[in-house]
Amino acid sequence: MDDPLVIAGRELHSRLITGTGKHRSSEAMREAVIASGCELVTVAVGRIDVDHVDEAITDYLPEGVSLLPNTAGSASAEEAVRIARLARAGGLPDWIKLEVIPDPRYLLPDPVGTLEAAEQLVHEGFTVLPYVLPDPVLQKRLESVGCAAVMPLASPIGSGRGLKLRHTIEIMVEQAEVPVIVDAGLGAPSHAAECLELGADAVLVNTAIARADDPAAMAHAFRLAVEAGRTARLAGLVEERETAEPSSPLGGLAARS
Amino acid sequence: MSGARVTITVNGRERATAPDETVASLLEHLGLGAQFALVERNGEPVERTRYAETRLADGDRLVIARPVAGG
Repeated sequence: MDDPLVIAGRELHSRLITGTGKHRSSEAMREAVIASGCELVTVAVGRIDVDHVDEAITDYLPEGVSLLPNTAGSASAEEAVRIARLARAGGLPDWIKLEVIPDPRYLLPDPVGTLEAAEQLVHEGFTVLPYVLPDPVLQKRLESVGCAAVMPLASPIGSGRGLKLRHTIEIMVEQAEVPVIVDAGLGAPSHAAECLELGADAVLVNTAIARADDPAAMAHAFRLAVEAGRTARLAGLVEERETAEPSSPLGGLAARS
Repeated sequence: MSGARVTITVNGRERATAPDETVASLLEHLGLGAQFALVERNGEPVERTRYAETRLADGDRLVIARPVAGG
């Protein structure tokens, strides 16, 4: 079945995006990316220690996987725009996962700074995927300035708590004009499946894979869960009911008459 | 100007370079020639296609970055 995820006109055949952070080694990261089947991986932009140049993460990424640079470390719109410009000038893709995070404790994004940076970056020709709190009103504002996708968090980054704001994300899915990609807080493949079942277009997973005992096996599990969730969404889930509905005839041979 | 030394700042640390140093030659000298290096000069990003022609001047402040692990 051909069911691509289309972001800014580009077709992706995996609905799982993975992060490259927190792995125990670059080899482990590579194996997990391969096992995930993803086509898009996030990277951050960081200063090089020019006195001790060590291996580059890009040397470990498998062929055919595209980079999605993020603006991690930005506490303001200005800092995020600076990172995006630096990344593009240096030859990274002009797709940017926009994150403006002033708060180090819960790592929650600043909606005002994110909207400001998104508008500026879209104006400069970037394909912008902003990381946001689940907020259907902010989603509409981000769509109206030209964002290519909106990335609501399931729960705080790295918390593994799953979909804590499910009903708000359902509203976003219902009214979405660009893909909704649930990012952050997904701790288990079942959480990812739940996102796809409720109609999210994709998920981004990092910690749950990187910190698993066997990251490659967990990446494979997330791949299966995302495929299961998407398949279920397209198949049409039954509506929940308050009371039972028999799956077998109630009469049976011992029917009382 | 020939023979004059040029002092620049790279990621916050001072460094003396030759007067004809460019972004590209600096990256080579730092062992970053083969790396995916991103360069900001005096707060402005430098286009990769211009690394070879961008000559460094005394007092330039450079930030050299690259893709790193992240989510």
